[in-house]
Amino acid sequence: MPSNEIIQGLGLDDYKFGFVTDSEPVFKTRPGLDADVVRQISARKDEPEWMLKRRLKALRIYDAKPMPQWGGDLSELEETLSRTYFYSKPQEQMERSWDDVPESIKLTFERLGIPEAERKILAGVGAQYDSEMVYHSLKEEWESKGVIFDSIEDGLKNHPELFRKHFGTVIPAADNKFAALNSAVWSGGSFVYIPPGVRLETPLQAYFRVNQERLGQFERTLIIAGEGSRAHYIEGCTAPVYSTDSFHSGVIEIVVNRDAHFRYTTIQNWSNNMYNLVTQRALVQQGAHMEWLDGNLGSKLTMKYPSCFLVGEGAHGEILSIAYAGDDQHQDTGGKVIHVAPNTTSSIVSKSISKGTGRASYRGLCKVYDGARNARSNVECDALLINETSRTDTFPYIEIDERSATVGHEATVSKVGDEQLFYLMSRGMDEAEAMALIVRGFIEPIAKELPLEYAVELNRLIELEMEGSVG
Amino acid sequence: MRRGTRRGICREAVLEAGAADPAWLRARREEAWEIYGAMPLPSTRSEEWRYTDVGRMLPFDELEPAEGGAASGPPGELRRAMEQDRESAGRIVDVDGRVVSVELDGAAAAQGVVLSSLREAARAGVHGVESLLATDAVPASDGKFPALNAALWTDGVFLYVPRGVRVDRTVRLSRWVSRPGTATFTRILVVAEEASRISFVDEILSPGFDSVTLANTAVEIFSRRGAQVQYVSLQRMGRGGFYLANQRTLAERDSTLDTLNVALGGSAGRVDLNARLLGPGANSDMLGLYFGDADQHFDFNTSQDHVAPNARSDLLYKGALDGAARGVFRGVIRVHEGAQGTDAYQTNRNLILSDRAVATSLPNLEIEADDVRCSHGATVGQLDAEALFYLMSRGLERERAERLVVLGFLGEVLSRLPLGGVADKVSRAIEAKLRHV
Repeated sequence: MPSNEIIQGLGLDDYKFGFVTDSEPVFKTRPGLDADVVRQISARKDEPEWMLKRRLKALRIYDAKPMPQWGGDLSELEETLSRTYFYSKPQEQMERSWDDVPESIKLTFERLGIPEAERKILAGVGAQYDSEMVYHSLKEEWESKGVIFDSIEDGLKNHPELFRKHFGTVIPAADNKFAALNSAVWSGGSFVYIPPGVRLETPLQAYFRVNQERLGQFERTLIIAGEGSRAHYIEGCTAPVYSTDSFHSGVIEIVVNRDAHFRYTTIQNWSNNMYNLVTQRALVQQGAHMEWLDGNLGSKLTMKYPSCFLVGEGAHGEILSIAYAGDDQHQDTGGKVIHVAPNTTSSIVSKSISKGTGRASYRGLCKVYDGARNARSNVECDALLINETSRTDTFPYIEIDERSATVGHEATVSKVGDEQLFYLMSRGMDEAEAMALIVRGFIEPIAKELPLEYAVELNRLIELEMEGSVG
Repeated sequence: MRRGTRRGICREAVLEAGAADPAWLRARREEAWEIYGAMPLPSTRSEEWRYTDVGRMLPFDELEPAEGGAASGPPGELRRAMEQDRESAGRIVDVDGRVVSVELDGAAAAQGVVLSSLREAARAGVHGVESLLATDAVPASDGKFPALNAALWTDGVFLYVPRGVRVDRTVRLSRWVSRPGTATFTRILVVAEEASRISFVDEILSPGFDSVTLANTAVEIFSRRGAQVQYVSLQRMGRGGFYLANQRTLAERDSTLDTLNVALGGSAGRVDLNARLLGPGANSDMLGLYFGDADQHFDFNTSQDHVAPNARSDLLYKGALDGAARGVFRGVIRVHEGAQGTDAYQTNRNLILSDRAVATSLPNLEIEADDVRCSHGATVGQLDAEALFYLMSRGLERERAERLVVLGFLGEVLSRLPLGGVADKVSRAIEAKLRHV
């Protein structure tokens, strides 16, 4: 085992996104939540009556549902929510050019490297600051092919029929307590439509930044991938470090139509005072592929299980999950695959690292309904423990109602081996380098699925955590 | 049972069960009854009972506590099952919750081995009963059913093996439940002192019943330093039987405490098994085998608690499910803080043989130490097409080939248990069941 100083040095202490920007919202609701707050949000967005009704109904569902008694520790959440701002509007309108975004906000995203990434590798970018998208842009090339990449509010305004047809169908408000909360107070997020046959060659990205203290961010994203289309959507999130807890609860609904391929990547790097309780689900039609790439590095507590509902024959779902739980962090993450149609296939690969007092829990479901003939699913979980105080759990649920299904689950837990360390050190590496190399090797299967720039970023992050590990 | 004087499960039944008991035991029963009353019936909203709706499946208001068996000795079916056994070091027969006969090999008795009706051992003040009964292993506070058992148990087994005594032949319990609509509460307490050795087989049979009939069992097993203990449960009740067991094994330093649970009979079975590894060098092999058809429902809830460092546990549960049968396996490995050097493994494999059968597998890990080797695996699948093809190419009919593949699949569990007689018996029972499929 590495010495104590090394263990100390492994900390996620140097969170480099923890800076605060000095900016004043143009409007915010008072702390706490009731029907008036919901009405104010809806009025600010100039919404149709049906949406306000839906929000109010969702609020009633939220109030009626008990707090989950499983997963992470939510005992202090109610108190946190009572003093949370549920809506904070950063600027009057969303911009299509960075030049029009207020200087302080623009600076924030520049420090996060978003405009640069946009120029280099992205087809389009959306940037959310507190409760609203402040910037949204799609390259002309894709706009001309009929791709829609807009804020969720503009989606509702400009494409009311398409929006209403799909909104809340993949994740209804009653799905769980936090989906109900999001359905009541949602603000920001993206509306994406990829026309049939269109193949986006570079990813779309949405970046979520919480700046204000005690803010609740509730982005809502609706994605419709047309028949035979292909696209990749990346979501990133960071926030300043505050002494009080913040709250983030997104809902992501994706419809993957026949033969389409869609990949959704999350690099979640919230500060360690953030509750991150997210519902993500894709409805996968005949012959379509859905991939969730879920990287959870930050937050105080994350509860997040991206799901694939395989409803069309031959649909395929994949979930690659990586979790890093440092001191005082609990990553309760995993994935769900629901096989409804015949010849559907799925795989879940989960890798977690627990360090210091961190706890990484894999929680997942593989369900095969009667009639999903020849469904095949495989789940693999590996957990790496760095310290004596680190903790890991594995909670897979496997429910099979179909005779011809083939389902497997394997999990292993190990520590960084003395032999591995010794071997690398005997080849001239110092202990920190050796440790970083082992950890990198462990997450490599997932990192290699990321676009190059993100893989580099992930590796850099891991290295950063290992930096200064020696004395 | 006295017809016409229905009591049901109530406080009077507790008083009656303990009427001839010493004061400490009566007090323990009453306390257990209070705990039972204060606890809600497990609902499917709780994780551990998510797949077994015990409130719906078990008509509590209609169950009548069993009041002891026929005086005429074991009935024919039980006797035939007993005749299949190889020779034993001891044999105890229990009919409808009362021990009707006890035999113990003279050599074992001379070495100080005690095999007794638990009721009589408690009443006679046999050393160890008061301190170990429903205290460290399955206390009433463990849950609704452990509390109910601690309040209402009528009889069972006390088996004590003194220090250094190695009993090479098996000690057997043969149980028979005859009366429909009754609830039988049985306890088994096994204490193997330092460096002793014992194997104990607990077999339960019954005819088929029209109404739900409960057999509730609490099993408490202590293996002291360096002891070697095997516990085998063979559940072969008839249809209508509901088998509900709480088993806990406490393995001290350098001891071996292995278990096998076989579920073939009854309409429903739920077994909660908790293996606690209390000392370094302790080892538990935990085997399970279930074969369900028609509407049988088997639910196993296992846990491997690594409290001490450098202990090992290895679990293998395999099930085959035909008809509209449902199999549930929920297992957890808990590596407690400080239990470094733990080796813990857990495997659950299921074979689905029909369109209506359902398998649910929940293999969990909860790990709070870093220097451990843990893994778990679960699979659900169908008959191995290659094995079938091979057997059929050798001239076997499809049906026969299928039977052989199922037998081979389940047989892996039996092959890991070095108790020949049991393996033969279980194999025969599986084969008999396969012929009906």
